[in-house]
Amino acid sequence: MNIRLTFTIIVAKLLVFVLRILKSGGTTLPGKIARKLYPDIIKVISKDYKIIMVTGTNGKTTTTKIIGEILKVNGQEYITNKSGANLFGGIVTTFIDSVDLSGRAKAPIALIEVDEAAFNVVCDYIEPDVLVVTNFFRDQLDRFGELYSTLNSVKSGISKSSKTKLILNADDSLCASLGKDTDKEVTYYGFANEAYKAKEKFVNTDAMFCIFCKTRYDYENHVYGHLGNFQCSSCGYHRPQTSVTCEKVVELNTSYSNVLFSIDSKIGEGDNKVIQAKINLPGLYNIYNALAAAACGTVLELPSENLVNALENFECGFGRMETITTHRKNIKVILVKNPTGFNQVLNFLMTEEKNMQIAFLINDKLADGTDISWLWDVDFEVLEEAQELIDNFYVSGIRAEDMAVRLKYAGIFSSKIQIVKNYEELLAKGLSNTKEGHSFYILPTYTAMLEMRKLLKKKFGLKEFWK
Amino acid sequence: MYELNICHLYPDLLNLYGDRGNVIAIAKRSQWRGVQTTISNISMEDKFDAQNYDIIFLGGGQDYEQEIIQDDVLNQKGNEIKNAIQNDKVFLAICGGYQLLGNYYKTWDGKEIEFLKALDFWTVGGKERMIGNFCFECDFLKTENYDGRIVGFENHSGKTYLGPTVSPLGKLVKGYGNNGEDGFEGATYKNVICSYSHGSLLPKNPVLTDHLITLALKQKYKDFVSLQKLNDEFEELAHKTMIQRIVG
Repeated sequence: MNIRLTFTIIVAKLLVFVLRILKSGGTTLPGKIARKLYPDIIKVISKDYKIIMVTGTNGKTTTTKIIGEILKVNGQEYITNKSGANLFGGIVTTFIDSVDLSGRAKAPIALIEVDEAAFNVVCDYIEPDVLVVTNFFRDQLDRFGELYSTLNSVKSGISKSSKTKLILNADDSLCASLGKDTDKEVTYYGFANEAYKAKEKFVNTDAMFCIFCKTRYDYENHVYGHLGNFQCSSCGYHRPQTSVTCEKVVELNTSYSNVLFSIDSKIGEGDNKVIQAKINLPGLYNIYNALAAAACGTVLELPSENLVNALENFECGFGRMETITTHRKNIKVILVKNPTGFNQVLNFLMTEEKNMQIAFLINDKLADGTDISWLWDVDFEVLEEAQELIDNFYVSGIRAEDMAVRLKYAGIFSSKIQIVKNYEELLAKGLSNTKEGHSFYILPTYTAMLEMRKLLKKKFGLKEFWK
Repeated sequence: MYELNICHLYPDLLNLYGDRGNVIAIAKRSQWRGVQTTISNISMEDKFDAQNYDIIFLGGGQDYEQEIIQDDVLNQKGNEIKNAIQNDKVFLAICGGYQLLGNYYKTWDGKEIEFLKALDFWTVGGKERMIGNFCFECDFLKTENYDGRIVGFENHSGKTYLGPTVSPLGKLVKGYGNNGEDGFEGATYKNVICSYSHGSLLPKNPVLTDHLITLALKQKYKDFVSLQKLNDEFEELAHKTMIQRIVG
């Protein structure tokens, strides 16, 4: 027995326990302390797991959760960092929480969401068996520097491993570039040309020009953001062939989507398969998350029938789209954190047919990004035409005033915009103006979501977030 | 009826940190006064004819995108931009766009990148980024009712130094500004305004927006006198809240 290891595990486990009693979450500190006491702890306690990692700028949490559901439906036991504690310290805590006192694994699989900026460092200690990369959109640039350096740091993390199987988004020219000239096994997922015709105008601000030769890409089809069937006429770089493909978006509404997707016979079992699946989440971006998770399931050689069950059973959590129903009124909370994600949420709101209330909760703490300039990259102008359906625009959070200005300049009538700083008052106002059977949408940034969740938990008994 | 034509240069490439909010602010505040506006997006390989526009906007980009436009901006549009500036055209340039108008950019390891030389200043790359909310004071905006303060967010590693023919845009109240050394922020020359401020800069600082619109309308119309007042309740709240937070 390794006494130092056991001692470290005991100390860290105790810390987790105490912090939970104190109700402060306790998701990252124990890991930090453990690394001080035993720097190599993570290498030792993660070595028995088959490790699946999920990284990228958008959709990590949802994709991780869908993969978790797929594992569950297949009867596979796994550990995961459920609370979105996806920096190094949080990941260490997750492992500490999941080993016994001698450091032995409690389950065969570890499913880990990793912050895209932390990924490179995490790879110094843990070698993933499977890595799912969702996409690269601009995200909180003041924290990470620039988009291309984020991409390069993920690339550098990947290069540290010899065995990792990669699952990449073919429609994202940045993400797909990770698979070009690699010695690793790559599985691509994406949308077929005929699957979906974008209604919104094509706003490609993140990756207009070829990453290899700086020529403007041609697009045969685009889905949203810079995602689509791209190709470079100069150096020939193009969207790679996919093996998990969305063939058709049959239905897309405010609570779910119905899609046809195919799984290439080269992976998974037997013949080429076309599957109809209901994805129990709204929004195009969630179809991508589901595809990524399905690709992961097939790489793990899990039967496709179970994929369908998993997608249908899936319930969202932790602010990615949670619904609470009270007195026959819905409160829907959707996390917003960067322009592309925010635009997708707005497009999703445009599919709502009943009158609604919307609240924007904008904070500028470190985890939100201290620069809120990105609000000006969000296309709030789409709301102008939908003003009749939106009774009230509430703005709250530390930067409520900036949000009010943004809405005003998007063409929303000033008389419809209200600054309500107090969350309790905001919740009361929003709900009292919501009719029965209608929805009150709350769109918070990360830390505003944590604050709002606390209140919702108190009032409606929402689950503790680390459970 | 008055008309303003706004040109957004390289909007698909120099579009970091929501800088397009500046174009939105100029357009909206003009329209709310009945001034008709058009916005023209002029990018790579597009013909740029400055006489078609009354206000020209240049934002900042990532290094990758700045490299892409380098040749186009120096060799295709460079002379036109320089002539327009000499002829008193109204320009607003932010961050990377600001640096681009200067003489050169010297990276911290000594590589010199040639820039437009439209204004006499130069930028030297630093190893540390200057990031955060900041505030500066512009003398030319001071009136009985306004203290001339501008609030925004800076995020740059380049340190900019002004030559003798260019004046700073304002004096720092809080933050790093041009170089973190001399206590000044931004640059002005003729009708050009340059700043490191994102935020976006103009929406939260309506006095500066109106200053630019006024300059442009005066350039274009001999009979133009002044802009009518607007209800700026939200803008002023956003402005004051941040100033209080930054300056105390």
